Amino acid sequence: MADTHAHAHGHNDHADHGHHPTGWRRWMYSTNHKDIGTLYLVLAIVASFVGVGFSMMMRLELAEPGLQFIRDQHFYNVLLTAHGLIMVFFVVMPALIGGFGNWFIPLMIGCPDMAFPRMNNISFWLTAVGLILVATSTVIGGGAGTGWTVYPPLSNHTFHPGMSVDFAILSLHVAGAASILGAINFITTIVNMRAPGMTFHRMPLFIWSMLVTAFLLLLALPVLAGALTMLLTDRNFGTAFFEPSGGGDPIFWQHLFWFFGHPEVYIMIIPAFGIVSQVVSTFSKKPVFGYLGMAYAMVSIGFVGFVVWAHHMFTVGFNVETRAYFIIATMIIAVPTGIKIFSWLATMWGGSIEFKTPMLYAMGFIFLFVVGGVTGVTLSNAPVDMAFHDTYFVIAHFHYVLSIAAMYAIFTGMYYWLPKMSGRMYNEKLGQWQFWITFVGVNVLFFPQHFLGMAGMPRRIADYPDAFAGWNMVSSGGAVISLVGALLFFYILWDTLRNGAKAPANPWGVGANTLEWTVDSPAPFHTHEVLPVITAEPAGSHH
Amino acid sequence: MINSRWMLFLLVLFSAATAALSADAQVVGAPQPWEWYFRTAATPVQVDLIWFHDLIFWVEVAIVLFVLGLMAYIVVKFNAKANPVPSRTTHNTFLEVAWTVIPVLILVVIAIPSLRLLFFMDKAKNPEMTLKITSHQWYWSYEYTDSGIAFDSNMIPEDQLKPGQLRLLDVDNRVVLPADTEIRLLMTSEDVIHNWAVQSFGVRMDTVPGRINESWMIVPADKIGTYYGQCSELCGVNHAYMPIAVDIVSKRDFQSWLAQAKTKFGRLDADAPVKLVQAETQPSLDAR
Amino acid sequence: MATQAQKTHPYHLSEPSALPLFGSIAVLVTAVGAVVFMHTGFYLGLVAGFVLLILMFIAWWRLVISEANNGVDHTEVVKTGLRIGMLLFIASEVMFFFAFFWGWFHSSLPILNNVAGMWPNNDIEPMGASGIPMVNTLILLTSSVTVTVAHHALVEGDRKTATNWTGITAVLGVIFLIIQAYEYWHLVNHQFGLKDGIYPSTFYLATGFHGFHVLVGTTFLIVCYFRLRAGHFTPSAHIGFEAAAWYWHFVDVVWLFLYINVYWWGSSAFGHLKPLVQ
Ligand code: HEA
Ligand code: HEA
Ligand code: CUA
Ligand SMILES: [Cu+2]
Repeated sequence: MADTHAHAHGHNDHADHGHHPTGWRRWMYSTNHKDIGTLYLVLAIVASFVGVGFSMMMRLELAEPGLQFIRDQHFYNVLLTAHGLIMVFFVVMPALIGGFGNWFIPLMIGCPDMAFPRMNNISFWLTAVGLILVATSTVIGGGAGTGWTVYPPLSNHTFHPGMSVDFAILSLHVAGAASILGAINFITTIVNMRAPGMTFHRMPLFIWSMLVTAFLLLLALPVLAGALTMLLTDRNFGTAFFEPSGGGDPIFWQHLFWFFGHPEVYIMIIPAFGIVSQVVSTFSKKPVFGYLGMAYAMVSIGFVGFVVWAHHMFTVGFNVETRAYFIIATMIIAVPTGIKIFSWLATMWGGSIEFKTPMLYAMGFIFLFVVGGVTGVTLSNAPVDMAFHDTYFVIAHFHYVLSIAAMYAIFTGMYYWLPKMSGRMYNEKLGQWQFWITFVGVNVLFFPQHFLGMAGMPRRIADYPDAFAGWNMVSSGGAVISLVGALLFFYILWDTLRNGAKAPANPWGVGANTLEWTVDSPAPFHTHEVLPVITAEPAGSHH
Repeated sequence: MINSRWMLFLLVLFSAATAALSADAQVVGAPQPWEWYFRTAATPVQVDLIWFHDLIFWVEVAIVLFVLGLMAYIVVKFNAKANPVPSRTTHNTFLEVAWTVIPVLILVVIAIPSLRLLFFMDKAKNPEMTLKITSHQWYWSYEYTDSGIAFDSNMIPEDQLKPGQLRLLDVDNRVVLPADTEIRLLMTSEDVIHNWAVQSFGVRMDTVPGRINESWMIVPADKIGTYYGQCSELCGVNHAYMPIAVDIVSKRDFQSWLAQAKTKFGRLDADAPVKLVQAETQPSLDAR
Repeated sequence: MATQAQKTHPYHLSEPSALPLFGSIAVLVTAVGAVVFMHTGFYLGLVAGFVLLILMFIAWWRLVISEANNGVDHTEVVKTGLRIGMLLFIASEVMFFFAFFWGWFHSSLPILNNVAGMWPNNDIEPMGASGIPMVNTLILLTSSVTVTVAHHALVEGDRKTATNWTGITAVLGVIFLIIQAYEYWHLVNHQFGLKDGIYPSTFYLATGFHGFHVLVGTTFLIVCYFRLRAGHFTPSAHIGFEAAAWYWHFVDVVWLFLYINVYWWGSSAFGHLKPLVQ
């Protein structure tokens, strides 16, 4: 995409401007998009220890029927709630959006930093505060055993009288505010600070993905904030939004939550689309096929994503007409998503592909996302959802798109951009091993959950009828393999930072033609202070 | 010594086998070990549901295999060794139209039976009887509004299970319902949201405080047996411990069960049916 | 950081700052303080959090104002960025109110909610559209005009007029708040309190958050008033004023929606819904 034509190059970007901040101030007070990006990645990694740790405890408990180590089922409910919240808000979002977005939006659009660097910093620190608050909620006040969906009445004052739910609510409030500020920053940067010549239709697809994601954040999170506020006042100040005894309605919460929640799932996957597009094009040594279609597919997924929320509520007792509408609207999303899948395949078609680790992950993403996507289409049919809602089939569906696809995208981005971020190359052989271990692990972990769902195993239970034992055991085995994969990744990361060979400015060759590969590796503290000038059409859009 | 141990072993084996066999004869709708498909379908709704699911399923398998096949082909043909010089093709109008239009067509093919099934499964057309289901933390109560029977149904704790009873699935008072009868199910909750789900019936409905939800079922006489389900909405600590067990019996057996049940459980308190009728027409604040 | 002479791009890169970290700690204190307050009644933590937050805001805005005034940092491109940022922020605020309007309609329209056979609940006498809300509508509409007058004067270089009309707008904001406070006091004593069910819940939170936004907008206008007096704004450079004016219009539009739906329609049309309950 967007080739630069030798107007500006890495050598201009040497870090010679006297003082840049050092020591702890550099990190605590940072107004530098790269440092803030790094902070986000570190936060995601720290949070993933907790999130993955909790999931391993859950799988350990579920490995066999009966209770293994959990006495009180409430504890299990707390684990799964914290697991869901942490993974969604403090692992995937900070990594994909805060981490890669901060690092690469300025680098790829050719500007020196984000539009509002101080606001960028507070976005990060507020996310950290959110993480502290959600962690507090699991240890103080008995823990929130509400599920990440926090449905009242279970989450109201009667059934969760402790402080935990309030901490969880405020955690999401704060993390949400952070995301809204981040979204304002991203959109302003992309709209206002593209290098001369980089028109919207010359932006790399990763930038398009960030733009769409930021709009989803901007418009979806305030609705969650409103919902959380109502829950907070219901719990503590005697309002009755979700209280039937006062004329309120618990279903109203579900509307608000999913009006946010469904866009939220695209918030987690659209950045992944962006990363995969860059990587597929780089390693195929081909420009992206159907660039405009790819960009506008993301835009339309974003739009339609706002009007499908009630497919999470097929069993609450809507009339048929409502359900019929939500079936149709939901299924429509398969069309733009299909455009993306086939355009990636067409990008690879005719390419000269090198199967480096990022490319393996990108291809793994494409395939396994299709698997998770089509089970989404199954669920979107309300009649079939009567068999699957709140069973492990749903768990399988969304771990395929989240814990597999979105997580693969994190790994894709990490391997792809690690040389740029750290200046060092990872060990390719270990990387490939890590891919295959994770591939086996997550499939053994999540595929059998489809079977459990078909046989009717409900989600959110710590103990299950004995007949479900077999596949649960397999699934837990898969969790162990996945854990090995994750640990290996962290080893590779450590190994790269310590022993990795020095990375050239562009380690990936001719395919990597976006702006970030024109600056040195590691990217200097300040980049693009002399604005690059873009003269080429986005490679391949001969419209 | 050795002998007696063998005897014991055989005895255990035998009782397990008879339990399993007798279970086979009666229990139709329980999960089976290593099950990877739906439980037995007992209602026309579930029969259609499985049929429809299979339709989507095979369409989706085809899509997944198609993508996988393309990727395999790409890996073989377009790796750097096999194809050192990449093409620069980035457009093909025909393909782009095709991969937009064909998914649309596939979705239309899915949507039509989907909507038909949706309307079919929605509500009973000519209900012959009504079962009112109320959820509590953490048990179910059932009201036979036509005959005025009401009782609670609790899970049997593990240490009180009799041989052949299923852990986490069997209950002290099963719901008994007649075969060949169109039954209307009305559901609500006393505290938090629960979900009354019996897979073999194709019924899965949230029970929401302040609302009355409706579903229905009819089980043909050749599907007489016991069906199990579990609460399917997180409802607190004992969410895993509020199973559902339904005995489907012949109409005659049902009548004799009713007679018994009337003495066993006693009648509803006087105001309850009134409450219900009011609630059906227009649920209002007073109905709660 | 590149000094001015070296600066080769039109953007504003901020120096490292302790404010974001400080502000986040303030938020943490506020959040923990709020939970502790709600569960134990101990309010000092919450108060401390608010104090820290306000300090952070003051320091932050002072910093921004000094950057706006130094003649270097706020280039045309930066100003465009600030405008975009403000519009986006307002868009997110609109979505926040969207949630509360949804609550209002969800609980009042039987079509959306089969619980609500009766509205307002418990025979509550709804807040009517005439009287206080009508007066407040007029006040806000007037203030929308006055802020526009000020804006025009500012663009035309008439600083004095601009200052005065900005002051008048801020005063109107204050009057609105006083009247709303009286309205609440009256309602709580004569009609309904916050805890009286769903109608008061939706009413108080929707109008209450609007009131809070009026407070924020008024503060913003007061700041602009003093900045005008201090000569910070020129006909071509007055992003701060522009943002305050936009914000004020947004607050105004929200009020119109509240007035039409909550006060007017809510008190007349719903009267006819009552008989639906039987
Ligand atoms: C990254 C996150 C992510 C993504 C991308 C998706 C994508 C989709 N999801 Fe998923 N979903 C979740 C995360 C996600 N989901 C989560 C977290 C939950 C559970 C929340 C909870 O309850 O806790 C959930 C639950 C959920 C439900 C509710 C289930 C229930 O609770 O009963 C439904 C129902 O409609 C659904 C549908 C879909 C659909 C139709 C898509 C579509 O976008 C998928 C589109 C993709 C494809 C279809 C594949 C590629 C397309 C082609 C190859 C073209 C050809 C295809 C066809 C013609 C079919 N999802
Ligand atoms: C992105 C989100 C995400 C991720 C990654 C995961 C990962 C995992 N999840 Fe899940 N999960 C959810 C989101 C996620 N989950 C949600 C939303 C729920 C619903 C909660 C609810 O019901 O309320 C849920 C629920 C859920 C359940 C159902 C509980 C129940 O209903 O009773 C189970 C059970 O097996 C489970 C298991 C696992 C396992 C074993 C992993 C494993 O950890 C997967 C193995 C993967 C790894 C080990 C690698 C992880 C690495 C990273 C994430 C990247 C690290 C960051 C950088 C490198 C920067 N999860
Ligand atoms: Cu009752 Cu779950
Ligand atoms: Cu969804």
